Amino acid sequence: MVENRPLATVTTHVVLILGIVFLCFPVWVALVASTHPGEALARSPIPLWFGTQAVENYTQLLTAGVPAAGGVPLATMMFNSLIMALGITLGKIAISLLSAFAIVYFRFPLRMLFFWLIFITLMLPVEVRILPTYDVIASLGMLNSYFGLIIPLIASATATFLFRQFFLTIPDELVEAARMDRAGPIRFFWDILLPLSRTNIAALFIILFIYGWNQYLWPLLITTDQDLYTIVMGIQRMVNVGEGIPIWHYTMGTAILAMIPPVLVVLAMQRLFVKGLVESEK
Amino acid sequence: MQKRVVFRHRWLPYLLLAPQIAVTLIFFIWPAYQALETSFFLEDVFGFNRTFVWFENFTALFSDGSYLRSFWTTLIFGLSVTLLSMSTALALAVAANRVLRGKMSYRTFLIWPYAVAPALAGVLWFFMMNPSLGIVAYMLESTFGVDWNHYVNGRQALLMVIVAAAWKQISYNFLFFLAGLQSMPKSLIEAAAIDGASPARRFWTICFPLLSPTTFFLLVVNLVYAFFDTFAIIHATTSGGPADATAILVYKVYSTGFVGQDYGSSAAQSVILMALVIAMTVVQFRFVERKVQY
Amino acid sequence: MADLKLNGVGKTYAGGVSAVADATFEIADAEFIVLVGPSGCGKSTILRMIAGLEEITEGDLQIGGRVVNAVEPGDRDIAMVFQNYALYPHMTVRGNMSYGLRNQGMPKAEIDTRIAEAARFLQLEPYLDRKPRALSGGQRQRVAMGRAIVREPSVFLFDEPLSNLDAKLRTQLRAELKDLHKRLGATFVYVTHDQIEAMSLADRIVIMSSGKIEQIGTPMDLYTNPASTFVAEFIGAPPMNVLQASGQAARELLSLAPDAPADLGFVGVRPEFLKVGDTGVKAHVTLVEPLGAETLVHLALGPDKMIMRGGQDHVFEAGSEITLTLAPSDLRFFDPSGRRISAA
Repeated sequence: MVENRPLATVTTHVVLILGIVFLCFPVWVALVASTHPGEALARSPIPLWFGTQAVENYTQLLTAGVPAAGGVPLATMMFNSLIMALGITLGKIAISLLSAFAIVYFRFPLRMLFFWLIFITLMLPVEVRILPTYDVIASLGMLNSYFGLIIPLIASATATFLFRQFFLTIPDELVEAARMDRAGPIRFFWDILLPLSRTNIAALFIILFIYGWNQYLWPLLITTDQDLYTIVMGIQRMVNVGEGIPIWHYTMGTAILAMIPPVLVVLAMQRLFVKGLVESEK
Repeated sequence: MQKRVVFRHRWLPYLLLAPQIAVTLIFFIWPAYQALETSFFLEDVFGFNRTFVWFENFTALFSDGSYLRSFWTTLIFGLSVTLLSMSTALALAVAANRVLRGKMSYRTFLIWPYAVAPALAGVLWFFMMNPSLGIVAYMLESTFGVDWNHYVNGRQALLMVIVAAAWKQISYNFLFFLAGLQSMPKSLIEAAAIDGASPARRFWTICFPLLSPTTFFLLVVNLVYAFFDTFAIIHATTSGGPADATAILVYKVYSTGFVGQDYGSSAAQSVILMALVIAMTVVQFRFVERKVQY
Repeated sequence: MADLKLNGVGKTYAGGVSAVADATFEIADAEFIVLVGPSGCGKSTILRMIAGLEEITEGDLQIGGRVVNAVEPGDRDIAMVFQNYALYPHMTVRGNMSYGLRNQGMPKAEIDTRIAEAARFLQLEPYLDRKPRALSGGQRQRVAMGRAIVREPSVFLFDEPLSNLDAKLRTQLRAELKDLHKRLGATFVYVTHDQIEAMSLADRIVIMSSGKIEQIGTPMDLYTNPASTFVAEFIGAPPMNVLQASGQAARELLSLAPDAPADLGFVGVRPEFLKVGDTGVKAHVTLVEPLGAETLVHLALGPDKMIMRGGQDHVFEAGSEITLTLAPSDLRFFDPSGRRISAA
């Protein structure tokens, strides 16, 4: 369309740049802060350009952690986060694929009951049933374990729903052709359904990885053993150290380290990420 | 919608469903039931005895001033977060949809905060607004003469968590608004342009009404986000303070149960929240299914 | 080899809805049978029951003398070509064609031989390593046939295989199909709603309407001796003129045929048997459609309407009046329920 309004075009770009500044500024401040020695952040105004302590600060964080906040090396925390994120992601995808397959491609007694049982979980975020869920984990002896961190979070109505929707769009004739080709249910699932779901699996992987990595309340409850701390939840202890000890440079360094993996995933796989996000919510 | 052709098997479907159902039953249904049960009991301090008290836990809650205040806090918090992040995101999406060059790079710079954990968003803003060294607090004081201290000022504390929560959610809303705008038929806009409508008029009379399904969907999603997922923001920064000024309902469930050890009351709060989530989900399903449109 | 016998085959769905009732007919080995009828007449259901994709709820089905009601589709010695081809989108052409063979556990060397053979046969050799989405509609159709051929089944089933193609390609592939049938010497069962396809392909046609078989016969048999008004109006383009026996047009035409049977319900005449003559029945020309070799002439006799196929020997003009004549033996008589009454 022909549109000749220079003012409108300028305004458009100004709005976008202001938006980007608003979104990026906190991270910029954090990034800068993480390169200064602790004393530089003791008085206002704090510096807005990089300091010289980047290497020292990050080495300290990754290998030894923050002594005032338990002294767990961040490398350990990030490893725990990775295990948890991957565990949750792969677990959710696996069990959701299987249950969506069962619900779409079989007719069996109680099918609708199971269907609704799964979809009720959509309605119950962890936050609203913290205490009883904690009791269950405790009585199963799953506190302070990777299992405790992962298993309770792998039931997912969202992923099941997404795969169900996708399976429903696969033409019936494909199943019929497979049956003509002597493929039973397992073979059909493995040879045809799974390869066809590749893009959906990849898109979902990104969303779920971010979800898993960013878990906060759950690791907070399940882990009392420092060696199992995840980074997103670990930062909370640094914040709570209080005003007396100047560790903001470490705290901000931790924040940066904690956001790097999920942000990288989003940026590197932007197209899949957008697809996954938009479709998993529909 | 159903498949015309299905496989026949006696036990395979149950086997396929077993993992999902097991996890659902053990970690979802059973705890939810426990919460429901516990909410009808009063437990003594040592946890040895419990008495069935009917709705006492609930009536106690609703006559408790601090719980009722928490309702208000949650409502103000939820609406502010939703309004702030959605309006900002809409403006950005409209702008991004207008630009011809650099669309993709703008998008890239606008979507990454989605990946930032709520807890981290809270910590970032907590640092920026720190009364003694926060850069934003400093600017507020030097430019506007505002004495910023969220450690003592409840309103300021609430404002801080609102900004942090909205900041994180902008990307999400932006993506959905942008998708909504891009799926809009170009011919409609062109028809309006030929009818002589100015760009602003075109937006308010054509685009905005056509976006209503997206807007409604986001409204519900944002409220759910603000009510439940922001727990981490509050826990990592203000811990509900000062003086409960930022204690939203989910935070209350946690602090009553884990800090205050009052299981009956915490369970009753859980039940109330579950009812709230279910109500919101039903509303979302009914409207989204019907696609809010003309 | 494979002859098929359907004995009182029927399909009633769980809700009590009957899709096919009491279908009884035989298909000889190496015969090309076309099931034709309007959509919803049950022709696809019969094909799917033969394939084993739908359960047979009444009667029994034999393939090569063996009752196969309870046999899995993969074990019926059949192959099927679907309307939308149903190619596995993530597999190459080769993968698509070999999948069924691999599932049977056939040795790789033999699979390769069969694929090479079928690919040459169908001129698919350059495309063997492409994915279906990189092929045109006609090529996809050939792959779907290739997938059926490599299995060397004794019965091929086709479910409207040409309906997704454009008209030109359809004509071309129709000829190829007929040729394929001749060369393979297998039994073909073919479903279509297109009567031209049915006429041009079939050895015998099974024409169906609302779950029941109306008539079985060779194409010419159905064309010249339709068993009911339904068949008369379904086969042929334009179809047979079927007139209410009590109407003005029928009464005037019957005056040319002195020995018409009693109890008439309807009278039928094919458009090409109406001729322009010196004496006979007067009719108004309402519309003329010149098609080159022939001209379709729309006629009105009072309130009744007919179509005649005119040759190049006469110039028709809309609005004019012509005199129609016909040979009495070209009239077809039907009783009030629409069944054919053979000439007395």
